[in-house]
Amino acid sequence: MTSNSSERASTDTDNDFAVQTLSLSRKFGDLTAVDGIDLNIKKGELFALLGPNGAGKTTTINILCCLLKPSGGTARIMGYDILKQPFRVKDIIGVSPQETVVSERLNSWENLELIGRTHGMEAAELKARSQELLATMGLASRAKDQVRKFSGGMKRRLNIMMALVHDPQVVFLDEPTLGLDPQARRAIWEYIGRLKKEKTILLTTHYMEEADSLADRIAIIDEGKIVALGTAHELKNNLLDKQTMVAQAQDITPQAIEKIRNKYAEVEVTGDTLKISDKQLSFQEIVDLLHDAGVAVRSAYIKEPTLDDVFLQITGKELRE
Amino acid sequence: MRILALASRALKETYRDPLALGFLLGFPLVFMLLFGAIFSGDELPDFAVGVIDEDNTMMSQAFTDQALPMVPVLTISSYDDADTALKDLKFGELNAYIVIPPGFGQQVSQNWQGAEADIVLDMTYDESDVMISEQLISIINEVTRAFARIDVPVTVNALPIHVENQIDYIDFIGPGIITFGLLILIPTAARMIVRDKEKGFLARLLTTPTRPLDFILGYSLSNVAITIAQIAIFIFGAWLMGMDIVGNLGLAFLIFFLTGLCSVGIGMVIASLSKSENQAEPLAWLFSMPLAMLSGCWFSIEMMPSYLRTIAYAFPYAHTIEAARGVLIRGVGLEAVGTDFLFLVGWAVVIFALGVVLFRRSMRS
Repeated sequence: MTSNSSERASTDTDNDFAVQTLSLSRKFGDLTAVDGIDLNIKKGELFALLGPNGAGKTTTINILCCLLKPSGGTARIMGYDILKQPFRVKDIIGVSPQETVVSERLNSWENLELIGRTHGMEAAELKARSQELLATMGLASRAKDQVRKFSGGMKRRLNIMMALVHDPQVVFLDEPTLGLDPQARRAIWEYIGRLKKEKTILLTTHYMEEADSLADRIAIIDEGKIVALGTAHELKNNLLDKQTMVAQAQDITPQAIEKIRNKYAEVEVTGDTLKISDKQLSFQEIVDLLHDAGVAVRSAYIKEPTLDDVFLQITGKELRE
Repeated sequence: MRILALASRALKETYRDPLALGFLLGFPLVFMLLFGAIFSGDELPDFAVGVIDEDNTMMSQAFTDQALPMVPVLTISSYDDADTALKDLKFGELNAYIVIPPGFGQQVSQNWQGAEADIVLDMTYDESDVMISEQLISIINEVTRAFARIDVPVTVNALPIHVENQIDYIDFIGPGIITFGLLILIPTAARMIVRDKEKGFLARLLTTPTRPLDFILGYSLSNVAITIAQIAIFIFGAWLMGMDIVGNLGLAFLIFFLTGLCSVGIGMVIASLSKSENQAEPLAWLFSMPLAMLSGCWFSIEMMPSYLRTIAYAFPYAHTIEAARGVLIRGVGLEAVGTDFLFLVGWAVVIFALGVVLFRRSMRS
């Protein structure tokens, strides 16, 4: 593909951003899947889009990689407009779809080769790059096996490798660990962690741990809208306006519960477990209150805030169904 | 480059799939074996005999119109000249033809009046089928003696010629079964596109600089390779089963190849109209099986009602079978099958264009 000066990135002021969306929206009939999203993802950033299923994450990704036309707004990838220069965009992005999409009767080598060749890569370069990927992703020993014989985790890794083989500048990883067991998930997290800084990565997930441990910044998305944005630390510490204490105790009497309820906003009892939440908690005071009411506390702790709590607070819903 | 990469991928997906491969190659070969076996038994042959009356007397006309047709196993047709009859003999439409020489009427009248006179007939037949020729000579002999009311054998000047294209059932059925193999490319061709569409492979490719046209061309290229392999294997298989190949193999190949392209094109159209493999597959079968029957893959379509034949001839396959039969087993050239050939070219071009348009339109949604 020849470069054409008129097709070049049009704005210099936004050069720091790898992905920019400008009131991006998409409707399917009456349903607004993406509702005026504005995002600025910096070059080299690992950005997570966190939200429940159906929040609009995949639709956003599909628009950004030019598979779907937006109903309103537009986006720029490394300065290229997705509507005006889709093939420019496709040249420099790598996409790992939500479903594992690999050619089952090809081996991993051939799968990588196919994507590399569609990007017009030279044979030698393609070979070197594939070898490198197969080695880092731990698939080198199985490179010649047909993919249909792979485990889910291996296919998933190949799925991601196919988004990287042509050395793209911007990588979209749509739910990269969907449906994997914790061990396989951890292996992929480790690899994504290593990609950090090398590439700009936009990752979508509904696993809060994934966003929490990997992302530089997180945007929480719900019903097509970005409802919160920041680092994991910012989201948890600035947005959360309540603390939760969990106590394990025996013989929790109604009187004891009543006493705590007088002091704190929320008290929840499930068997031997007490959950107390309020804007401000005093660990010692609660332990004392329980003690005075004749309840023997076996253990107690102040719960670390999670992104789940953040999501619950903002939307009133649990992140996980 | 991109198209080649896509084609090679599609090809690997097919030839590494034993089920797909067995279906594409095994299925038609089983049919070939089956039909070859079913129709290999001895049947009472019906003889098609042409008559050229050079005597042109009332006597010779009575012989042609009344005496000969009374024999149940004979189907008699009159010819004006021996050349036409010879051509039909070579095309397998006649088993033999008789020339009634001048003087025949007079010889018969003499016999009727008691004066013995030699009766001479010239009979040309295909020598390659010994049984048929012997039976024919004796039948003709008998009927002529009865007609002339004589006891002595009639002199039948037997003129055996070697007609290479002695057509038996496998010769007849071979081109049909090969065409059937190409017809069932339709479900395979459709399945592949729809599977890629359904499983997201197409979408994945479209996030690369691949255009829908690249995909469809790459995929067609792989199907072209499959078609070529299929034709080669089928022709070889039919030859092993005893199909005589007397004509231009290259021309036959080209006819089959165009037919394969039509199938790929139809598969493309069906795939573009279907949302899932579960939709495309039955649709493709619903289309190709009745068409196989209508087009005469297994039976001659001559006996079908004319409206069915009209339907059959609207599609490529009946033309293929006819043209291929002409070329392969009767040795005719392009001049004889030109119309069918052009029809196939036209069909392939139109269906491919339609497939590409529909596919690209289905990509937009």
